[in-house]
Amino acid sequence: MQTYEDSEPIVRIRDLKKDRVNFVLENVDLAFANSIRRVVQADIPTVAIDMVEIEANTTVLPDEFLAHRLGMVPLVSVNCDEAIRYSRDCTCLTGCQYCSIELRLDVSCHDNKTMEVTSNHLEVIPPTMGEHDGLPGEELTKRGEDFGYPVGKNDPATPPVLICKIRKGQELKLRCVAKKGIAKEHAKWSPCSAVAFEYDPYNKLRHTTHWFEADERAEWPLGENAKEEDPPRDDESFDFNAKPRKFYFEVETDGSLGPQEVMMRGLAELQTKLANLILGLKAPPDIDMMNGGDSGMQPVSGNPPGGGWAGGSMSPTAAGWGNASPQRNTGGWGNASPAQNASGWGNTSPAQNAGGWGNTSPAHNAGGWGNTSPAQNAGGWGSSTSPNTSAGGSGSAWGTGGQQGWGSPHANGWNV
Amino acid sequence: MNAPPRFELFVLDDGEKPVEVTEDTKIPNAATFKIVKQDHTLGNMLRAQVLAMPQVLFAGYKVPHPLHPYFLLKIQTDGTITPQTVLEQACTKLITTLSALEAKFKREFSFKDVEGTVAEDPYGATGTGGQTWGAGRDYLDF
Repeated sequence: MQTYEDSEPIVRIRDLKKDRVNFVLENVDLAFANSIRRVVQADIPTVAIDMVEIEANTTVLPDEFLAHRLGMVPLVSVNCDEAIRYSRDCTCLTGCQYCSIELRLDVSCHDNKTMEVTSNHLEVIPPTMGEHDGLPGEELTKRGEDFGYPVGKNDPATPPVLICKIRKGQELKLRCVAKKGIAKEHAKWSPCSAVAFEYDPYNKLRHTTHWFEADERAEWPLGENAKEEDPPRDDESFDFNAKPRKFYFEVETDGSLGPQEVMMRGLAELQTKLANLILGLKAPPDIDMMNGGDSGMQPVSGNPPGGGWAGGSMSPTAAGWGNASPQRNTGGWGNASPAQNASGWGNTSPAQNAGGWGNTSPAHNAGGWGNTSPAQNAGGWGSSTSPNTSAGGSGSAWGTGGQQGWGSPHANGWNV
Repeated sequence: MNAPPRFELFVLDDGEKPVEVTEDTKIPNAATFKIVKQDHTLGNMLRAQVLAMPQVLFAGYKVPHPLHPYFLLKIQTDGTITPQTVLEQACTKLITTLSALEAKFKREFSFKDVEGTVAEDPYGATGTGGQTWGAGRDYLDF
């Protein structure tokens, strides 16, 4: 079709600093360039403080305020992909050296002048090698020695982040747990503080409208990027087929990652997304679908033995209320996903769940109402009497479980 | 307290399929792909790439609701190729483009390192001394 289709993208770095890179990207389309912008802003993992336990706070700022500020402090996250796990993927219960970093802050003021509590006061607690909560892994060896440190700590040239000001007699003592995450979950995990993205500095394509009082050119001064392109001639007619082909980026990081790592990881992340999509398209049909259900769970008409409020739908599943994913489910309200579920209200995730209402997350749950966090909850509302693989509706009852199924595993502390 | 975990917005549930194909019953050679746990980042890029293929008559995507983490991509072809194949080819093409771009970036970054632009930054020294690693890594920041 168009001539540029087969041409490769061109990139030219105009400027590279410790915390930023400025480059021009050519021969790609707008959607592609914009995806690069989006991916570096929102999809690259870093570490940030995610939980704060306050032991003493006699400062003028309330706990929530401080917790929020601490969450915003950029922490060095170099090689985050390999150096730390997501706590949702970790086998530990409440955090271990492989999926979290502990930081402590303990300051008090004894002088007669105002003292500034800054990110430099945060001390990383080295992982204790004794306890092995999680499955041992390579993570620790992949870390740089300053992994998890506040950016600019021990570097007099980088001013620290001010957290609070305290006067004589005030104290702040707290414990933080930093975790890995991405900015889709919370913007504090974004490695980028700003990403500038521009194309068509003369607005030849008329993708925007320049409002002006008297003279458009005088009132809309041109930026640096305009020097890269030819100004429009006065007699030039509007080319409505023109497409933007040249994009000006400036990726500025907060210091948790360097600009090079941000760009390379961003591109890799996009490729991963696409590769997963290809895999999904190529995936062979599920075995369950071909079997069409087994063990007396034929959904053809009437209610399957497993009970629940399933109507006899035409599909090979016996969907109940809500979407049943295309595998052998019988009955149940809501989504029941693949493996051995018989009845169960709500979304139950794959592995053996005995009925339960609401989303229960991956591992070992026996029922549970509401979200149970990804590890080990027994019960909640739902039966804990027959923890696994209860067939039929018998297992699911509103029994009372052992521990509570509500809430997060952290007993207290602020979730930032 | 009852909020679902936030990562449900971008992590596939166990056993969840990344893509679901529904063939269109009323339009010939058309299919709708429901791509879950993805957003405009992938949606718009795919749409543009699919549209660039000559066999494609129509391609569009939408995110039906901002709180629901999936998007729908509808593709209609001229019949010489199935929408599934088109989408697969588009993905492959994008991966090719991205890896080409990755190589170019790597090259550009290495040039900048050689020219010593990085050393002149206003913050001066490398600070925290996180330069211990490097073995097996092809780039090093700071």
